[in-house]
Amino acid sequence: MPLLKVDGKEFEVESGTTVLQVAEANGIEIPHYCYHPALEIVGSCRMCLVQVEGMPKLQVSCNTFVSDVSSDRKVDGKYDMVVHTQNDLVVQERKNILEFLLLNHPLDCPVCDQAGECYLQDYSFKFGNAHSRFEENKRVRPNEFLGSQIVINHNRCIMCSQCVRFTQEISGTSELFVEARGYNSKIAVLEDNPLDNLLAGNVADICPVGALLSTDYIHKNRIWNLKKQPSVCQDCSVGCNVDVFSQTDQILRLTARENLDVNGYFMCDIGRYGFHRYEEIDRVLQPMVRKGDSFESVDWETAIQKTVDLIKKNKSKAAGIVSPFHTNESNFLLGQIFKDVLGSLPPITGEEITYPSGFRISADRSPNTRGMNDICDRVVEDLASEIETQGIRTLFILDDGIDRKLDDKWKKIIGEMDSVIVLSYAMTDLAKLAHVVLPGHAPLEREGTVTNDKGRIQWLRPSLPVKVESKPDWEILMLVRNALDKKTEHFVELGEVMKKMGEKFENYGGITFFKVGDQGYSINGKIS
Amino acid sequence: MNTFKPVLTEYIDQKDCHTLPFYKSIGGYTALEKVLTMNPDDITQEVKDSNLRGRGGAGFSTGMKWGFIPKDSNKPKYLINNADESEPGTFKDRLLMNKAPHQMLEGMIIAAYAIGCHTSFIYIRGEFYQEYKLLEQTIAEAYDNNILGQNILGSNYSLDVVIHRGAGAYICGEETGLLESLEGKRGWPRNKPPFPAIEGYLQSPTIVNNVETLSCLPHIINRGASWFKSIGPEKGPGPRLFCVSGCVNNPGVFEEPMGVSLKDLIFDRAGGIPDDKQLKAVFPGGSSSAILTANEAMDVMLDFEELVEKGSMLGSAGIIVMDETVDMVQACLNIARFYAHESCGQCTPCREGTSWLVMMLTRLINGDGKPGDIDMLLEITDNIGGLIDFSKGSFGKTICPFGEAVAWPVRSFVEKFKGEFMEYLPQEKVVA
Amino acid sequence: MKSNGKPKPRFTFEDPERVKQIFSQYPDKKSATLPLLHLAQSQEGYISKNVIDSIAELVDCHPAVVMDCVSFYTMFYTKPQGRNIIQVCQTLSCSLNGADELVDHVTDKYKIKPGETTADDRFTLMKVECLGSCGTAPVVQMNKEYHEDLSKQKFDELLESFE
Repeated sequence: MPLLKVDGKEFEVESGTTVLQVAEANGIEIPHYCYHPALEIVGSCRMCLVQVEGMPKLQVSCNTFVSDVSSDRKVDGKYDMVVHTQNDLVVQERKNILEFLLLNHPLDCPVCDQAGECYLQDYSFKFGNAHSRFEENKRVRPNEFLGSQIVINHNRCIMCSQCVRFTQEISGTSELFVEARGYNSKIAVLEDNPLDNLLAGNVADICPVGALLSTDYIHKNRIWNLKKQPSVCQDCSVGCNVDVFSQTDQILRLTARENLDVNGYFMCDIGRYGFHRYEEIDRVLQPMVRKGDSFESVDWETAIQKTVDLIKKNKSKAAGIVSPFHTNESNFLLGQIFKDVLGSLPPITGEEITYPSGFRISADRSPNTRGMNDICDRVVEDLASEIETQGIRTLFILDDGIDRKLDDKWKKIIGEMDSVIVLSYAMTDLAKLAHVVLPGHAPLEREGTVTNDKGRIQWLRPSLPVKVESKPDWEILMLVRNALDKKTEHFVELGEVMKKMGEKFENYGGITFFKVGDQGYSINGKIS
Repeated sequence: MNTFKPVLTEYIDQKDCHTLPFYKSIGGYTALEKVLTMNPDDITQEVKDSNLRGRGGAGFSTGMKWGFIPKDSNKPKYLINNADESEPGTFKDRLLMNKAPHQMLEGMIIAAYAIGCHTSFIYIRGEFYQEYKLLEQTIAEAYDNNILGQNILGSNYSLDVVIHRGAGAYICGEETGLLESLEGKRGWPRNKPPFPAIEGYLQSPTIVNNVETLSCLPHIINRGASWFKSIGPEKGPGPRLFCVSGCVNNPGVFEEPMGVSLKDLIFDRAGGIPDDKQLKAVFPGGSSSAILTANEAMDVMLDFEELVEKGSMLGSAGIIVMDETVDMVQACLNIARFYAHESCGQCTPCREGTSWLVMMLTRLINGDGKPGDIDMLLEITDNIGGLIDFSKGSFGKTICPFGEAVAWPVRSFVEKFKGEFMEYLPQEKVVA
Repeated sequence: MKSNGKPKPRFTFEDPERVKQIFSQYPDKKSATLPLLHLAQSQEGYISKNVIDSIAELVDCHPAVVMDCVSFYTMFYTKPQGRNIIQVCQTLSCSLNGADELVDHVTDKYKIKPGETTADDRFTLMKVECLGSCGTAPVVQMNKEYHEDLSKQKFDELLESFE
């Protein structure tokens, strides 16, 4: 294996690794713009220039590959390559490249969305000059819409071409191209083919400066006001890793978070902008009990008691409906209450799309179908028939949520029940049919684990504070269970539920939040 | 000066010199006949032994370049004839294509055979439309006479030649820019490594050679490497087409041995400067080279090594003569503007820097210059293309040599004629 | 964007045999892009959006990729030009030998500046970079032909000969 020396430190690396990759993996900062691990190397920004001993020109570290050399060419008799990334020469060159980049760049920081997470700001501060020597007129062009979701501010663009390569290599849709050449080059789209594919939002993520902006987020806030929470997208069974940015009780945006085993570096626009659909809904924030045609709010003790009474009344004719929208912990606890009859409503599906790079949007638009099936003893296939055959009269339902449109068949089934308890966060069509509505959390308020369709357990972290009187879904189920049978465990916190889950279901054994961490834990291959 | 018997341009004044019958009558394609019986590696060795160096601008050893083709690769090999002559001051390839196209074609076939290529391309600049039409005829003649196509001249060797027109981009003369253009894309040069000899056209081993370089090959085969090496300096020998233009009485292409004196070329062959004006400065190797002052030009030999020692380069041998009437600052702007126009825009220093130079020079000429501007011009050229003093180590920040190509001339104008630049600065008014 | 429901007019090559021949010369389709663009431009006078869509289909890639290529090269025009395109070389050797005068002559006589077309579409004037014939400076390319060693007089006569 080749031996590389960088700034005096030795590294043994795989042949074919680039100097930049070695630096990134070892905490050595080499600034760069045009390099992205998922995209083809172009080496055009020239920001990552380093000095390689033995080569007259500075080399771009993103395209300098380390390999074994013959012993007579090794430096000091042992190094296949010796690199300097912080010496005077390299530091001066960085300043010069930054000067060129800033030549036409407007002093927009006070009004630019990217401020606070801008690589041009960061590198200028760390590596650049404090002032510009450019006395000429700057190149000025008006902003343009590249698509309905993406706006480009041409004046800020540094022509790193990441966005163009993204549409060519990742989404395969090739909407973006470079128009003209030289000083007049700019990013463009054809009028009849704007940037409107389902991965479009990613170009605003990968743009290192404030040139490509999301119209959804533009001018809404400042990154330093926002809390960043690593979590998991809840809009399909792929389970892309995301960062949720919020301020107090409002989500401002989602961006993709890296996970090479799930979504790579990207996410789709369905998940990216999906959080908006929870904004203007009829939230249920207190326990509700039916009174005739309407609902009145009650306290938790009353609601739990009422729930227990309804279940006990039809004891052997009560069933639970789990949900692929709910966490493993919630489904598990419901499964423990209703051991015999458990099912779920018909799946909510959409188009399955696979992009040339392998990025996938699943047809299954719920996040936890796999987990739901794993963590319950028996989830019946045809719930409607089972309900009829078994003569079920009482249902406890984990509401799929606002995405569920109840068809007439299910409206009838549920409408004819003696009693229906729904655990929901909104007064959905389903909740409207209930006798008791227990207020749980909306998807991005929940905490727990979800298992994606490739068998990876991931940590869904709460991104918003608890609202009014709503409780975590698992806690509500535990309270109901405790009230039905005083001998069942009282869990103080979620970790204890997970432990119990693991005791009952072998392949979830030993799962803790610590183990799941930021990148998830794969149980694929371990079939219960 | 001693009259040198031309090799490449011996017959260009004769009627129908571009036709196949004429070429055959002067012994054309006998080198090819000989080559078809030789081992390809022996041909490469002969070319290496001749010390033939590329005549497109880079001056790299042709035989050595061919030797980089991997022997163990089963990918198709490609030979590309770089006829994208766009270097200001250079017009020799056009002459060769118009007057001796078969000589060039024979050289192509020899080169293709040596590297094991069966499909070869001529990348000709788009503006050379007449030359393109002529080459179409040349190639048709060759096919009709079993000089191209299957089983050339009865041998096992087959070769197809395709003419591919460029569309107006100087950067497509740079070999990797050419490859991108040939592949149907914008001519953005590629990072090297990988080198074209390993991964070139469509990821396959590719050799790109200049028109004049290829035209030398039949002669090397016919008369031998030693003969070729004996013409001019040993390290960079051979007959060379020198183009002289600008402020001269008799501009044109002059075939001389490598190492000819620049003074002789300008004042003898090119008839000196009109109206007896004084020489001021010269580009020795196309506009991408550093200019020489009159003094420097007077005792320099046009040879690869010597010009590097003098801080310039032979390049494409496009000699542009500037006399005392030429405003050096305007000339500098003219050249800077050429590069700004032709910059492909891919990498930062060139995209931003070339236009910055043009803007500064324009502002200077318009009377709005500041004293610090002149030193800043030098700094900007350094930041794009690096120092001319190669011994200092670092030079060139760009993907391709375009950065050096704009930096060297602009820098040399400013350094060698600083006084003229300073004269453009607004004169300070003395407060009484 | 459809206007009144009629299908968009498409571009077709007048010489499909030539198109086939072009494709046969290259090992892959995309390499045929430049020759096809040249062929289309000599047929239509410029590269319209229809041309781009057509060629994209033929070489099996997205129209944006073809447009990327077209916009890079100065010889491809994306808008219609005058009947005769006057391209005056402005690089050093030609500039030292009177190129500016030739440009001024066109401006004075035909009232167009570089980049402009006469009102009757007779001439478009362009300043271009080195045409590769510095020895016969000043050089002007009229449409596809080179005209060399031009004095102002000869240039004037030359222009007059074009309709």
